Amino acid sequence: MKTGDNHKRQPIRLLLVDDEDHFRQTIAKRLAKRGLNCDQASNGNECLSILEKKAMDVVILDVKMPGMSGIEVLQNINATYPATEVILLTGHATTFDGIEGIKSGAFDYLMKPIELEHLYNKIIQAYDKIQRIAAEQKESEYRKQMEQQMIATERLASLGTLAAGVAHEINNPLAIIRESAGWMQQLFARDELKDMPRRDDFTKALDKVEKSVERASRITHQLLGFVGKSGSAVSEVNVTELAEEAIRLITHEIKNKDIEIVRRMDPSLSPIQSDPYQLRQVLLNLLTNAIHAIKSAGTITIATEDVGDSQMITVSDTGGGIPRENLAKIFEPFFSTKPPGEGTGLGLFVTRGIIEKLDGTIEVESKVGLGTSFCIRMPKLLKRTEGFEESFSQKWVEKIRARAKKT
Amino acid sequence: MIKIPIRVLLVDDEKDFVEILSLRLEEAGEIVTPAHSGRECLDILETKEIDVVILDILMPGMDGITTLKEIKNRFPLVEVIMLTGHGSTESAVKGMKLGAFDYLLKPAHFGELTAKMEAALKRKDEQAERIRKAEVKFLLRRGGDI
Repeated sequence: MKTGDNHKRQPIRLLLVDDEDHFRQTIAKRLAKRGLNCDQASNGNECLSILEKKAMDVVILDVKMPGMSGIEVLQNINATYPATEVILLTGHATTFDGIEGIKSGAFDYLMKPIELEHLYNKIIQAYDKIQRIAAEQKESEYRKQMEQQMIATERLASLGTLAAGVAHEINNPLAIIRESAGWMQQLFARDELKDMPRRDDFTKALDKVEKSVERASRITHQLLGFVGKSGSAVSEVNVTELAEEAIRLITHEIKNKDIEIVRRMDPSLSPIQSDPYQLRQVLLNLLTNAIHAIKSAGTITIATEDVGDSQMITVSDTGGGIPRENLAKIFEPFFSTKPPGEGTGLGLFVTRGIIEKLDGTIEVESKVGLGTSFCIRMPKLLKRTEGFEESFSQKWVEKIRARAKKT
Repeated sequence: MIKIPIRVLLVDDEKDFVEILSLRLEEAGEIVTPAHSGRECLDILETKEIDVVILDILMPGMDGITTLKEIKNRFPLVEVIMLTGHGSTESAVKGMKLGAFDYLLKPAHFGELTAKMEAALKRKDEQAERIRKAEVKFLLRRGGDI
């Protein structure tokens, strides 16, 4: 029998509730012979307190009990444990209770005296229903998640394209602004303007113009670097060496803070196939974020490790941590908690873009007050090097579309 | 040391950009000829002695890459520095493969630009020197034959 196979694989968690000890124990013994072990309770309160400690699949519940009635217990179970199914046992003359029970959400009812075969089949049926519901729920959750992911992907992709277009259009006027400010600076350096009134005010203002151009162009270049068809250079990369190099590059950033860098790196890692420049950019982004997360003193730990067909790089800090509500947003473009001008809100967005382009994954774990840990896994071999210049966003959209077609 | 002026041809369809950068380069002691299209750039190279061309990649009409190919074909000694408003380095890399001396992303640092121009001029002079020596050798050998 098909249903027979089911409960062999995973034992059904069963609770038998009846105030008649002899009846209850007999039923329990006979069910055990058929391979169904059950917990027992002799009244409604006991039943509920067992359920508090242990989740049950099926509860077999006598309707007529002293104290809390079976129907009350049933309503209680339905409200608190919606995944649990209840089979009611009613006296011979009380069909009414059984119907009332089904109305209140019982799976079914059996009239006493019960036939064991009958009870056994009902239990199996109830359990099948539970499994069916669980599977349906899982599937609908998966579909919902898929849809959300697709919406996010499409949004990011179109946003990326738009942003790149804007960035490109902005770079030309930025160049003119920069050259104009620079030209004025050159003019102020001339002897003829040495004694011009308020000359310092002018040059100071021009400095600000130039600094702002610098800031704006940093954003546009980051955006273009993300969307642009990168001139990816795939070669053999030693992850540990790359991490060391990244640490060297950021040491000047930690001079003003009391930050200890802890290395947990495997020096014997074999090289992987990847893009060293882009991967270094990723590590620099993560390290910079870690430094910014630490207010005055703390530890940054970098670990590299071989995990089968990929290698893992972890960057952890003991900084402020990321609040739960922000965790889902950190990879979105322009999301930043830094003051204006300090963060472009593109660091992690670009980071994830690069990693996914290189067939890797990135995960984050964070606890407010304790710190944050980013874990990257990069494959030892790239899935494809052909057509590698294809932009990340395109590839991503296609991947999701293909997945959507399947479901 | 006396600064030797670099004869620069500045090509960009953004007129304001050409105007201001010309002023700056002249202030820095270079000799600048402005142009606003690939066609104009090639016409000027026909008539004027130029050391370095600063060339925008994205231009309407004849684009920077096509212009670069023409320059390298017809005036192989002239060095080209490419300017790109496009953050992607792809077109710049393509340009380098076609013989451009170097490239800069817009908005570029003035100091970087002038440094690259000096380096480009140096390479042009060295190349010219090598050609001159080769010619002398060739002439001497031919002379020996006679």
